[in-house]
Amino acid sequence: MRWLKALDRTFHGITGAAAASLLLLLLGLLIVLYDGARPALLRFGPGFVLGSSWDGAHDLYGAYPAIAGTLLSSGLALLFAIPVALGVALFLSEMAPPWLREPLAYVVDLSAAVPSVVYGFWAFYVLVPFVRSTVEPGLASLTGGTGPFSGSPTGLDLFTASIVLAIMIVPTIAAFSREALRAVPRSQREAAMSLGATSWEASRLAVLGPARRGIVAGVILGLGRAIGETIAVAMVIGNIYLTPTSLFSPAQTLASLIVNNFGGVGPGLERSALFEVGLLLLAVTVGVNVLARLLLGQTSEPRGPRRPAGFRLRASALLGRQHHPLPHPVSPASASAGADSAVAAGRWSSHLVDRVPKNLRRRRALHWVVVSICAGALLLAILPLASVLTTAFDRGGGAVIQPSFYVSENPLGCNPGPGRSCSLGGIGPEIQGTLLLLGLGALVAMPLGILAGIYLSEYGRRGRSRFARGASFVADVLTGVPTILLGVFVFAVFLRLDHDSATSALSGGFALGAVMVPLVARATEEGLRTVSTGVREAALALGFTRHRMSLRVVLGSARNAVVTGALLGLSRAAGDTAALFVTAGSSSFWFQGFNQPTAALTPFIFTNFGSEYANLASDAWGAALVLLLMMLLISVGARWVVRSRSVGAEL
Amino acid sequence: MPPKLQVIELDARYGDRHVLYDVSLDIPDAAVTAIIGPSGCGKSTFLRCLNRLHEETPGATSTGRILLDGEDLRSKDAVSVRFRVGMVFQKPTPFPNLSIYENVAAGLRLLGVRRREELDDGVVDALLHAGLWEEVENDLDAPGTSLSGGQQQRQCIARALAVRPEVLLMDEPCSALDPIATHKIESLILKLKREYTVVIVTHNLAQARRVSDHTAFFYLGKLVEFGPTLKIFEQPGEKLTENYVTGRFG
Repeated sequence: MRWLKALDRTFHGITGAAAASLLLLLLGLLIVLYDGARPALLRFGPGFVLGSSWDGAHDLYGAYPAIAGTLLSSGLALLFAIPVALGVALFLSEMAPPWLREPLAYVVDLSAAVPSVVYGFWAFYVLVPFVRSTVEPGLASLTGGTGPFSGSPTGLDLFTASIVLAIMIVPTIAAFSREALRAVPRSQREAAMSLGATSWEASRLAVLGPARRGIVAGVILGLGRAIGETIAVAMVIGNIYLTPTSLFSPAQTLASLIVNNFGGVGPGLERSALFEVGLLLLAVTVGVNVLARLLLGQTSEPRGPRRPAGFRLRASALLGRQHHPLPHPVSPASASAGADSAVAAGRWSSHLVDRVPKNLRRRRALHWVVVSICAGALLLAILPLASVLTTAFDRGGGAVIQPSFYVSENPLGCNPGPGRSCSLGGIGPEIQGTLLLLGLGALVAMPLGILAGIYLSEYGRRGRSRFARGASFVADVLTGVPTILLGVFVFAVFLRLDHDSATSALSGGFALGAVMVPLVARATEEGLRTVSTGVREAALALGFTRHRMSLRVVLGSARNAVVTGALLGLSRAAGDTAALFVTAGSSSFWFQGFNQPTAALTPFIFTNFGSEYANLASDAWGAALVLLLMMLLISVGARWVVRSRSVGAEL
Repeated sequence: MPPKLQVIELDARYGDRHVLYDVSLDIPDAAVTAIIGPSGCGKSTFLRCLNRLHEETPGATSTGRILLDGEDLRSKDAVSVRFRVGMVFQKPTPFPNLSIYENVAAGLRLLGVRRREELDDGVVDALLHAGLWEEVENDLDAPGTSLSGGQQQRQCIARALAVRPEVLLMDEPCSALDPIATHKIESLILKLKREYTVVIVTHNLAQARRVSDHTAFFYLGKLVEFGPTLKIFEQPGEKLTENYVTGRFG
């Protein structure tokens, strides 16, 4: 039996090491960025955050315009997103007919799965022209074109970037808010209703209050996403490094600054300055995510008795008002002697009853106004997804129905003219590259993530291990770290290890792995946690050792959840552009070796989205449609896995 | 005296599940009526029909009529029915983000009461009535959840009383409480029945016997027997009732 014990310990060790890799990832990120940023830190000191130039000729760098652009764009995005997301959450949790809730929530969640490069692409072709021709001139004429509405509307500016960001964070905020609303027990709503509340009043009185903390946490997570969002912003914000003076100013954000410049710079002060920008971005996003997770963690804690100071004063003031001429003054001193004598039955009933019909019509009307507003918010939230899909089918549909599209190389850029037709070519190398990169990433991330997830769930239960709880927290925070930083991290590590393969298939694969690991680990942990303690104890009572219990019984019955988590990670990685853009290099050729740059779908879209050649633009739309279809397939697949609960112990 | 509530041929379902069969019952005014029966006999559903809360559960339906002072509940707006028929739940349900004061004032505010004096009066009155005033008079701004379980339940009773309902429904109000808190609520019920019609669902036979004037025994969704409490417990007319009240099953 001794070897069984040893096996148990080994299993504990291996899963623990996997969990530790999460901590190492965050720590490594910090160290690598700091290390890279050191020359710039020494050169510019704290003045870096106030400097406003990005001047390669004189080697002068400052982050102020990017900081301002980041804060303004994400702040504005929150302003747009919060009302819509709250409306969506309220409608889905409180108002929609029960049979409609799940499907609608699914559609909203789906819009979170659209890759940011596709959102950017769509915004560039659909949103930007609309904003330029209609929204911004309208705003300018309404306000007289002064203050924040001054300047000439170009559509490629802070305002458009904020709208795109808002579209992207609405699903996040809505999902967290909906969870918080749904966590409020039914009895709370019923208590309010049995007081005579309309359904909206019951939500306001009994549901919104208790859910407040969860909603705030969702908003903060949304803010974190907005700050870290890279690609979609870079595609519509105009990318001019000036401190914005108006909503219609083109700008840069911290993240867009990195992705726009990182590929083009060699070793030197500019790269170091970009590392410092990365360090700033890491600090802000980690800070925001830690705050949100702390808030979320607190919701589960029971609220103990609390005695705020100052109530005594106010309560006695209340009683001190006895000289007020009341209809039937209640004297607590005498009343407490015989409570029932002070309370004449029906004393108020009459005049309260009179009140009912009068304010009831208004309250009913208010209820329907709120329901309509929330339903409108839902429509508004679904609109972008619908538009993205129709646009992609419209512009990319022609490409994807041709079999040659999937196997041909990219065409030479060309515009059809009189007597000249262009070859459509295809995106064969990009598809090959993406599959390869995903495979490499999965090879790293799946074992690591699943083992770490097992550790977090099995050894971190009931707060037994502070380390496991910490690692779980870090995994949550890591899912909020902008992927561009993970890309920079992997790039820098490869640069140190093997200079020539810093931008290569291998590097890109690792970058995608880093994107996937925290997602897979957390999804596995959550999935395993749903397996009841009873099942675990039953297995242990049957004489299973701990690791066999974890592997066979627990993992067996939570298999679907783990598969779903893996699919989620794959889907997120497949749609990622930022991390690949700085690691996979640029190539439009078929696979040339693991240490060579590789083509991939998302960077292909990002480099060709504004192409002046019609055939390349069509190919980019085709690639976007392929990505979207992939996401849909994965999402539907994951749902199907969850649905078909073939939970068997036949493992 | 005419009955406060008349239940006529009430049938209730949750989707396909039939939970109440053809229940007819007259609930007398200014008295306590206890509903007893084993788990799953439909007694909570019956109670929830009396203030039309049943219909808020997704998939729930009912047929038959319930008359309040001779008027059909269905002919009236559900919100104004619930304002006349208050309810207290099994577990205390204070609104967790509101103070004790605001919890009790919640119903008054819904009715549009805005004047501070009027609110103050209503809250103090309701708390006195619920026998909670002395325990919380210095803590009115503390969160409603900071009280003990029994105090929270009396706070919920005060909240229901503040709008001056005519009927008070209680769904196992003591099942989550210790004996001392239970005793306080029972004596409160005895006091309330002078002014209110109280309908209480309870698992606890001794409690039904202590607080109620009339008792209805439900079994598998049917009303088996209804009559004065003493008669139901001492000389039940049905064998089933006798077996239940003497503890042979349930």
